[in-house]
Amino acid sequence: MAELQKDPITRSDFIGFTVFGGLIGAALTIPPIAFLLHPVIDVDVLGETDVDQEYQEVGPISEVPADEPVVFNVDFPIRQIYGDEEIQDLSGQGEGSGTTLTNAVWLSWRTETDEDGHAGESFRPEWLDETTEGLTPEQISEAEENLNILSNSCAHLGCPVRWVLIEGEGEFLCPCHGGIYDINGGYVAGPPPRDMYRYVDYEVRENGRLYIRHEYDAGSEYPENGPQQPYVV
Amino acid sequence: MGMIGRVRSQTADASKFVVDWMEHRTGIVTLTEHFLYEPVPKRGAWLYTLGSATLFLITLQFLTGILLLFYYVPSIEDAWNSVYYIQEEAYFGALIRGIHYWSANFLLAVIGLHMAQVFFSGGYKAPRELNWVVGVILLLLVIVLAFTGYLLRWDQDGFWASVVGMKIGSYTPFVGGATIHFLLGGDVVGPATLSRFFALHVWLLPAALAPFIGIHLYLLRRHGVFGSEFEYTERLAKLHENQRLEEYARYELDEGEEEYEDGENGYGDDYGDRGDYEDRRS
Amino acid sequence: MYDVTTGKARPVEEEIITEENVYDRPDETIGFFPGQVLKDLYVAFALLVACIVLSYTIPAPLSDPANTASVDYVPRPEWFFFFYEQMLMFFPGYALISFGAVVVPGVFVVLLMIVPWLDRGPNHSPLKRPFAIVVGLLVTVTVVLNMLLAVSRIINFPGQ
Repeated sequence: MAELQKDPITRSDFIGFTVFGGLIGAALTIPPIAFLLHPVIDVDVLGETDVDQEYQEVGPISEVPADEPVVFNVDFPIRQIYGDEEIQDLSGQGEGSGTTLTNAVWLSWRTETDEDGHAGESFRPEWLDETTEGLTPEQISEAEENLNILSNSCAHLGCPVRWVLIEGEGEFLCPCHGGIYDINGGYVAGPPPRDMYRYVDYEVRENGRLYIRHEYDAGSEYPENGPQQPYVV
Repeated sequence: MGMIGRVRSQTADASKFVVDWMEHRTGIVTLTEHFLYEPVPKRGAWLYTLGSATLFLITLQFLTGILLLFYYVPSIEDAWNSVYYIQEEAYFGALIRGIHYWSANFLLAVIGLHMAQVFFSGGYKAPRELNWVVGVILLLLVIVLAFTGYLLRWDQDGFWASVVGMKIGSYTPFVGGATIHFLLGGDVVGPATLSRFFALHVWLLPAALAPFIGIHLYLLRRHGVFGSEFEYTERLAKLHENQRLEEYARYELDEGEEEYEDGENGYGDDYGDRGDYEDRRS
Repeated sequence: MYDVTTGKARPVEEEIITEENVYDRPDETIGFFPGQVLKDLYVAFALLVACIVLSYTIPAPLSDPANTASVDYVPRPEWFFFFYEQMLMFFPGYALISFGAVVVPGVFVVLLMIVPWLDRGPNHSPLKRPFAIVVGLLVTVTVVLNMLLAVSRIINFPGQ
């Protein structure tokens, strides 16, 4: 091998290295980082979401009994990767081909519970036994006040929670690490740091059905629930 | 000299020519000889197969992973179907996917054993510190590869395990939200999530893994294999022998000085048992 | 140490063994090829056969297609995450989950990386560095115990 030749670095060499090296470096790092962090910027900085913000139908509230929650599947259209509707139309894959995100939503009536999560009196409106449609504004607001609309995603690590009956007492149980919540979604035991996630934007309509938007009581607007973001569902 | 002898000598000439030609242009012969005939410790050679087993399993991962890519489709509509197709329909699909799956499991186990062996035998000590660090980096990369690969099947097992994993990421202090949205590619698990995990599992992490494997092997060859002190028993015995001799030599020197002092201050008679020392020393 | 041209070790007698060079070369060596390579090949063969046999006896699993809306599915990590998952059971509440799930493993990884600088003594033999070995054994035992705990929890889970 030839002997090493170490020429001195002149001022102009140095400037050349700095300028052109810097330009190459900048061109190859800044756009890729922004490219990769695009979702972070959208969600965390701009507060945008990929999920369609229309109200989606959950189901008739009269189907929810007094002492037991009922699960409904709700489809939310999402726009990740596939662009907005305009682009989907352009590509000829418009209506009906969009991706949907299915959420399992637990519905229950607010129930008095003691500290150990034992259920007491339920606030299910009695008129629901006769009236399932054509609700009056008073009935609508009564129903809205007393409904628990809960995400099936455990507040600990996101596993799907289930309703189990143990010695006659019902509770929400997370199968992963044993988090337990009462019928209102309130924290009872186990590792979860908070109550179950609730959908905060909902309305009961005249036809006796519940409609929700994809929004939880998490994030910066709900500091009392801690700093956590929702992520799945 | 008959026909066979002539052919044989001609073949030998021809192969010698080819070998010399290649050597002159690439140096590959010297390189290969260096690689093949490096002396390695004789005792405990079975222990060092852990490292090469790791390398073999990673090679299997690369090979079967590339093959799986010919059928796998990274979209939430087709991912599960394409994996099912590989498993149930494609010729030897169950084998290729099976090897990818099982060698990944073995890989984690063998890496654990390899690491334990190096730790307990003190193989990370100078001058091999950096190779230990590179090894830990490789371990982390393999763990992340295992995590990202799980989601690609888009089945219940992989999906929910990834949800739990990402949720754990959301508890990262200060950057939890950003981490989760980076992995999700948005604010919900969807097509973008699968694309991201695919990019990580198939391109980014293997591309990061390969050079670190290269560095690991280069450093290994530079400093040689270190199995355990057991390999160095005789040399250590010699070293200790040398040290003991030096120690005695120094002691003898001290002794001489003391004697000199004894003569000076006249307390020499108090050291009555000097004869014992003399005996032991000789 | 080694004579580069022949690849053979110089005789031991030429060397004066000191603290610095004692680990330069083991007592006895073999050539990497064929001795070591053959052993590596045996192990590789055994592993490949195991992979092939397992591919057909216990095929790589594929459960039902992912369903974001399931309520009766029990997520389980792969076996090599068992000990980590089990550890999460012991850390309830925000601060502790953050601590147990991210900070503790992070610190552990950093400690793992700097092991060579934490244990700088001249001795390599496990018998001569009891502290490092005790710590290593404790970590191993913790990992194995946590794995067993996770397995027992999975076996005993009521809803499964």
